[in-house]
Amino acid sequence: MPDAYVPKEAVTHGDGGTTALAMAEAESLESGRNGRNGRSGRGAARPNGRPRSLWGDAWRDLRRNPVFLISALIILFLIVIAIWPSLITDGNPYRADLAKAQEGSAPGHPFGFDTQGRDVYARTVYGARASITVGVCATAGAALLGSLLGGLAGFFGGWWDALLSRLADIFFGIPVLLGGLVFLSVVTSKTVWPVVGFIVLLGWPQIARIARGSVVTAKQNDYVQAARALGASNGRMLLRHIAPNAVAPVIVVATIALGTYISLEATLSYLGAGLKPPNVSWGIDISTASTYIRNAPHMLLYPAGALSITVLAFIMLGDAVRDALDPKLR
Amino acid sequence: MTAEAILEVRDLVKHYPLTQGIVLKRQVGAVKAVDGVSFDLRKGETLGIVGESGCGKSTVAKMLVGLERPTAGAIRYRGEDITKLSGRALKAVRRNIQMVFQDPYTSLNPRMTVGDIIGEPYDIHPEVAPKGSRRQKVQELLDVVGLNPEYVNRYPHQFSGGQRQRIGIARGLALRPEIIVADEPVSALDVSVQAQVVNLLERLQSEFDLSYVFIAHDLSVVRHISDRVAVMYLGRIVETGTEDEIYGHPTHPYTQALLSAVPVPDPEAREHRVGAPPGGSRGRILLAGDVPSPADPPSGCRFRTRCWKAREVCAEVVPPLAVPEWFAGAAGPAHPSACHFAEERHVVPSE
Amino acid sequence: MATATTPDPAPDAGAASPALLDVRDLYVEFRTRDGVARAVNGVSYRVDAGETLAVLGESGSGKSVTAQALMGILDSPPGFVTGGEIRFRGQDLLQAAPEERRRIRGARMAMIFQDALSALNPVLSVGTQLGEMYEVHQGMKRKDARAKAVELMERVRIPAARSRVGDYPHQFSGGMRQRIMIAMALALEPDLIIADEPTTALDVTVQAQVMDLLADLQREYDMGLILITHDLGVVADVADRIAVMYAGRIVEHAPVHDLYRAPAHPYTRGLLDSIPRLDQKGQELYAIKGLPPSLTAIPPGCPFHPRCPRARDRCAVDRPPQYDVAPGRTSACHFWEETLRDEEPPHDR
Repeated sequence: MPDAYVPKEAVTHGDGGTTALAMAEAESLESGRNGRNGRSGRGAARPNGRPRSLWGDAWRDLRRNPVFLISALIILFLIVIAIWPSLITDGNPYRADLAKAQEGSAPGHPFGFDTQGRDVYARTVYGARASITVGVCATAGAALLGSLLGGLAGFFGGWWDALLSRLADIFFGIPVLLGGLVFLSVVTSKTVWPVVGFIVLLGWPQIARIARGSVVTAKQNDYVQAARALGASNGRMLLRHIAPNAVAPVIVVATIALGTYISLEATLSYLGAGLKPPNVSWGIDISTASTYIRNAPHMLLYPAGALSITVLAFIMLGDAVRDALDPKLR
Repeated sequence: MTAEAILEVRDLVKHYPLTQGIVLKRQVGAVKAVDGVSFDLRKGETLGIVGESGCGKSTVAKMLVGLERPTAGAIRYRGEDITKLSGRALKAVRRNIQMVFQDPYTSLNPRMTVGDIIGEPYDIHPEVAPKGSRRQKVQELLDVVGLNPEYVNRYPHQFSGGQRQRIGIARGLALRPEIIVADEPVSALDVSVQAQVVNLLERLQSEFDLSYVFIAHDLSVVRHISDRVAVMYLGRIVETGTEDEIYGHPTHPYTQALLSAVPVPDPEAREHRVGAPPGGSRGRILLAGDVPSPADPPSGCRFRTRCWKAREVCAEVVPPLAVPEWFAGAAGPAHPSACHFAEERHVVPSE
Repeated sequence: MATATTPDPAPDAGAASPALLDVRDLYVEFRTRDGVARAVNGVSYRVDAGETLAVLGESGSGKSVTAQALMGILDSPPGFVTGGEIRFRGQDLLQAAPEERRRIRGARMAMIFQDALSALNPVLSVGTQLGEMYEVHQGMKRKDARAKAVELMERVRIPAARSRVGDYPHQFSGGMRQRIMIAMALALEPDLIIADEPTTALDVTVQAQVMDLLADLQREYDMGLILITHDLGVVADVADRIAVMYAGRIVEHAPVHDLYRAPAHPYTRGLLDSIPRLDQKGQELYAIKGLPPSLTAIPPGCPFHPRCPRARDRCAVDRPPQYDVAPGRTSACHFWEETLRDEEPPHDR
């Protein structure tokens, strides 16, 4: 056969485009011509630039994603006021003026007063610190511990996996509130750390299960075998090949968990087992306010609203990060 | 062909234990995926391994590249048994034996760019290419397999199946191996693309002096690309010889059945086939039943349960893989065939 | 572009009685985020009772989508039939009420899928699934339906059918599962069977068994069979006529012997030349250059022209109609005559 049939030139024209068709033959619908496909153009149109990495591409994608920008701004703002609450309020969250108990908004006190006559605005701002600390630290702890243990269990399998799965089952079996009451009532520390520790202890098995499952799925892919055949170390296979492909479900579950952890802190505080006054937290305030919802709804509205916005921001952030880490969606 | 054998496989065995119980695992048997396979691979040649699913051909491939540890047997690369190696020595040997996978959709990490995928071998074996030269080497590889070198920053999903398979081949070539084990490298591809990839593999073989172990279920592709062929059934090689010996002068009944079952893209052939008497020269040999479970293979000859020639001796004596003595001296049929009643039969129409 | 709007008459369309199935100028598109993928662009073919039409094409050629449209099982959205007729015994299925279509589907036309394991329900025994066909469509009692199921399994030559009727799909081998799929398709003795890559997932010896069974049953029941495949070998073995599809169009439509002897379309010729042959140790394979086009951006003119060794300027602008090559044979190539004679293409393009 003449050499003209070597398909080199022709093949190099083929430019993949993602064609998410729900049809049996979708696989090779790709291969449009360079630049025709607007969506793929974004990721692919730069010929021969610097070498790029997954995280670099993800970051480029995130910077243009409004959902990411909005949620990141909210979270940044929350973190800033959690560290320096006095930046946006000069009120004192502890000063009680019983004469103003349950009063609505007043000049200088936009959110009104709580049942002890404390400024709701100041308390909402100061409450961010406890809630964010508990939410972020507990999530970080549970996600780290969970994905480490779950990931290793999924990767190595065998008795290590069996042991870990049973251990996770035991922690799953602990009733959250009962466990919280028992565990936290013996702790005398007034800081947020016992609460964080307790949530991590109960939260890691959920993450571990997800991480284990997605590691097991990712491990079976041929590209992991390919790396092994090249002589790649376990660490390399885990970090380069398995983790990036297994991390998405963990991120999603972790961001959803973050919301639940913040409300769990609120619940525990309501039951008197979580944070205790004089700590200021949205949880404490929500639980206090819930008794007065008919007379003074504003007492509930502001801390609860702050809580919702926080949880929503984290979930949106998780969503955006997950999408950015999937080149197929680019 | 008198070239030296660079890979000698001897009595290779892989058994997967079957266990019962969760805590106290007790072995109740074994899946005998590969059960005593021996062959040589010579420099610059292509050895085709054919067989149906479950015959153990993919397990052989995995053992050759070190993805599975054999239960017994030896794989000697230039005289050194690589099944005994570990650590640094194994890694060094691995450089010389690379693999191309079947499924171009799962064998490339979707979250790595093409440049990272093809360059990964250099990360793992940094002694092969100094850091500064890697990018250029990756681009050269892309060019060698017929892809645009500017594609380094793209992701696998932006390519079609055939292009992805080229990327997989480029990765296999990166370390300049001597041996490439290709496990069904074209079976997931469309006909027109399949031809491109087969041609590419042949071109690369002569360009880089590669030896191939080419594993496939498609007998036509195997004939096209192979110098020698081994036919596997239930974990064993039943017949082996040159491409012409196997396709032109098959002597094992399983090989004959396998070859006769392949639909030939020529409608003229069917008149000779449909309704032809069972013993006729072009009658298709239809095998009864399914392949037995490798956990409980038949005694003696493993093919006897589906063989029309089976007699008592087949259940009692394992037929050795050797040149049947009654063929000694005959040019075509004198090649190793593990059958007590080996006889030549033409099943592939000659041109 | 003349043929895009006026229906191409399917070959031998002049026959007196209405065909079993007559597809005319069918268009299917998928509306996706990436644009409209034109999967089927004016496909016409007909099948008569007792006849086997092979629809040959590579992935993305639209061969399976056409079948899904015929059966009325297109995923919609994103898939839409945007034009054409599907006449089953003279009745246009596209105009029929959904209830009517459902009745025809299964009872009078049935489909066999490639992947039997996922097409069968894993939690029901095969006997239950086969019997269900009779219970639902014919109102049969459970016990009678069970007996019918055993009978069907025997008919598709499943050994020990009586004892295996209570087994679940995963307990059968791939070949046996495909037989069960065939049994299911046959249950109500349909007039037409559409088999979408029925043997692609099977080993070659099992594939031979299943294809033989299918061919025997077709003869026995005098059914029409549409065999959708990419395998030129299987086609040569069983088909009467072949429709070769490329980028959603039929590029060549011919009796099987004629097509293999002398293809009238460069794509068909390229396919035939690019398969390695069992009976020859070839040199370098002919490879059609390039890749099939994206269905969201099908090239103007002849969709095959960017890959065609015979392409000339005209091919890039002028979409070829279905030229009549011989009675019952068409080719969508401007240069079908020189293709048929296998002349060297002129060098001044």
